Amino acid sequence: MALQRDIRKKPVLDMNPMVDMAFLLVSFFMMTTTFKADLPEEIAIPFSSSEIKLPETSMCTITVGESGQMYFSVDNKNNRIKLLERMGIQYNISFTEQQLKTFSLLDVFGVPIAELPNFLDAKHNNLDYAQTGIPSSPERNELRNWLLTARMVNPGLRFAVHADKDCRYPVIHLLFEILRDLNITRFNLVTDTKTTDATQAQ
Amino acid sequence: MLPKLNDIEIDRIHGKQGSGRKSGRSNVEVDMNPMVDLAFLLLTFFMLATTFIKPQSMEIVVPAKPKLEDVEKETPIKESKTLNIVLLESKLAWYRGLTDPEPTMVQYDEKLLLQLVETAMKETVGLVILIKPLDESRYENLVQVLDVMAISGVSRYALDRPSEFDISLSEWKE
Repeated sequence: MALQRDIRKKPVLDMNPMVDMAFLLVSFFMMTTTFKADLPEEIAIPFSSSEIKLPETSMCTITVGESGQMYFSVDNKNNRIKLLERMGIQYNISFTEQQLKTFSLLDVFGVPIAELPNFLDAKHNNLDYAQTGIPSSPERNELRNWLLTARMVNPGLRFAVHADKDCRYPVIHLLFEILRDLNITRFNLVTDTKTTDATQAQ
Repeated sequence: MLPKLNDIEIDRIHGKQGSGRKSGRSNVEVDMNPMVDLAFLLLTFFMLATTFIKPQSMEIVVPAKPKLEDVEKETPIKESKTLNIVLLESKLAWYRGLTDPEPTMVQYDEKLLLQLVETAMKETVGLVILIKPLDESRYENLVQVLDVMAISGVSRYALDRPSEFDISLSEWKE
């Protein structure tokens, strides 16, 4: 019978189109991926109906955790190195080559500058080191200096506030006042669109 | 058994001549399965690691710090033209004017808020909204109120420090 003739033959599946497709998708994802910043704590951002996209370059983001810790992040490796060097001069801390390099690869951090060398030496910065946030009280306002210096390094820097939706107003007020004090009067609040709100609620 | 690479080349050049294989055909079959495995592994990785949704953002503009000599030049606004919104922990209170205010408590609800702002806009020309978040209010609620401002298109609104009366509202029960 015709059916029996094929039984001995191993079925051959042509894998080439599949490989083509898979690699096409891989290259697509590789090109479009920007990795999530390694935040030291989970930030739930509030919802709004605004649909302005955050700019991708020349961004400086201040992340505020639920209990008010401030984390700082700025883009561009070279600018990060310049920033750290200048901050080091201001606070009389010298950083080693290795520390500068680690810092340039660091997405976000939140430690007082005195602890920064130790923090940069820790192997897995985010996991090994408990980050306490950047001091921003009026007496010891390191955050203000970070912002000021970051803007000196890159005058076209844009600022965004990435705060947890449950964080209380005094912290936000403090941050707004710092920004205002530095004459940064236009900045962005990172929010999520409402549509995701609706889908999440379901 | 895979054919030797040299043989394949020679077969190509000579059009399968002189290949000692059976029936003269050299059908090269490369096992694609590991490659597919690898490709899909990478694919999965990138799919999981990708964040497609770029965060949206809301732009806000705060007034620059006034210089000392400018403070006197600031033009006062009429009390009757103000709408005060005090943000409490889980509710908000609103009232018109500043002297003898009659606050009304409402829930944080976007529709209600929008309605409130829009009626106030119709009633008053040159409405000024003062948003006063108390210390216990959450960032989420501030963003919501600012969002309502943006939707309703109110031209003048400001973040303000709460007065003593506003702070007393947090103990106020309906």
